[in-house]
Order: sequence, then structure tokens, then C-alpha cells
Amino acid sequence: MISQEEFDRFVRDYNEDYRLLLTRASRRHYDCLITSFMVLKDFYNMIQVSYDSGQYKFNDLPYPFSFRADYVLLRNLGFDDEEIANIFGFLHYVKETQGMEFEACLEAGTLEMCSRVR
Amino acid sequence: MSQAAIADAIENNIDRLIEIWTSIVRDDPRIESDDALSKPELIDHVPAIVQEICALIRKNEVPDVRSSHEARANVYIRYQQGYKGRDLIRELSLLRITLLDHLKEISEDKEPLFDSEEVHNASKILNLYLDEEMRYAISVYGSAPSAPEAPEAKAL
Repeated sequence: MISQEEFDRFVRDYNEDYRLLLTRASRRHYDCLITSFMVLKDFYNMIQVSYDSGQYKFNDLPYPFSFRADYVLLRNLGFDDEEIANIFGFLHYVKETQGMEFEACLEAGTLEMCSRVR
Repeated sequence: MSQAAIADAIENNIDRLIEIWTSIVRDDPRIESDDALSKPELIDHVPAIVQEICALIRKNEVPDVRSSHEARANVYIRYQQGYKGRDLIRELSLLRITLLDHLKEISEDKEPLFDSEEVHNASKILNLYLDEEMRYAISVYGSAPSAPEAPEAKAL
């Protein structure tokens, strides 16, 4: 079992990684972003499942994983209009290149992605 | 016809349902935290929540921590907006009633596309989903964490 301090560090790492991936999207650095988000989603789920066990508390709140609907969230995260447009552009990019929505890609997982690049 | 037909019947009316919910929330004298919010800020994640519920109904899947991302996003945003916990619970309760009323309405069609068991399954899923969000909200508000700061521009 991990300690509260380790849990806090996981949350901080998650928040940092989340901001980093969104920053990459905001600058149109879309390469390999889907797989990065897949890994981050697992990390987020791990944090939430651990939290749900009732053994830990949030000293810092993790950013929500979902950002599709959220102009307000992205504004709060400090992105300007052009950067937000680029982040939403990433969702279009996924749809165009993968033939499915971003969330469906994450759901399909890496096996589906691998079968597409074979 | 199935759970998918129920999900479609909700999703096809999502704008109207959100409009009804917004109006009930605005009119509810017991909710104070919405006063400072614009309409887009109030609506925020709610359509995405309804869509996530519909996706679960379509798959006939019980909601859990891993399948309620939009619910968690909504709690995060409300917490950041300074929304009171009790107001968030109340607005979720009003969303529940709005969706259950709609379920009742579509199941009373002259030629319903689904049977009572499918409607019951759909209501269980939407109830469990909103309970999942309330559970998360209560634990977040109860522990009063600090919300993370807006980021500095980061070099890649």
C-alpha cells in the first residue's frame, strides 16, 4: 500500500503531466499525443480508484481528465483563445486520423491503435 | 428495441432537457451559488454528463469510478467556481428529476420502443451515475483540497 505522501506525489505528477499534454496540444504538437493521453488516463483512473477506497485524501485536487466540453476549464488553466482552438483542433485531428472520436480511441486502447498502424 | 433506443431518446432531446434543467436551477431559491455564473458557466459540463450517462445506458453498463469522468470534471469545476457543496447536490438532484421525468414521458408513448424493464435499467444507470458524482462531491468538499494553480507557460 502506498503512503499519503506518495499519493500526493502521484496527484502532483498527474497534474503536471496533464498540463504538459494540453500545452503540447495548444501548440499543435499532436504527434503521439493520443497514446500519451491513454497512459495518462490510466494514471488518472489509478488515482481515482485509490481515492475511492477511502484511504487517502486530496491535498491537491487532480485536474479532471475530460476537457472536451470545457472552455471554462481550459480558460482557468491559463490557455488563451488560440491555444484553446488548437486543443479542440486536436480532437478534430484524432477524428480525422483515427476515424473515431478521441474518447472512443482511449476506450479502444492501444491494441486498436496498433492494428491501425500495422 | 433496447437500451440504445432509450439513450437516443434522451440524447435527441438534450438541448431541451438542459434548457428545462437550467430554468429549474435558476428558479430554485435554495440554490444560491448559481447567481454569479453566466449561462454557459452554469451549463458547463452538464450536456457532457448526460452524454456520458447515455453512453452507459447504451452499453447497459453500471457506472463506476472509471466511467464517470464528466461527473468528476463537473465537481472540479464547481469546486473551483466556489459553488457550495449543498448547491451542487441540489442541482444534481434537479438533473436527476429532469431526466427521470423525460424517461417517464418517453415510456408513455403510444408505441414505445422499449419495455418497462429496459426503462428501469436505464433509470438505475442514471441514478447510479449521479450518485457516483454526489459521492465524489461529498468527499472532495469534505476534505477541502486546494485547487491547482493556473500553469506557467511550459517549454516543450
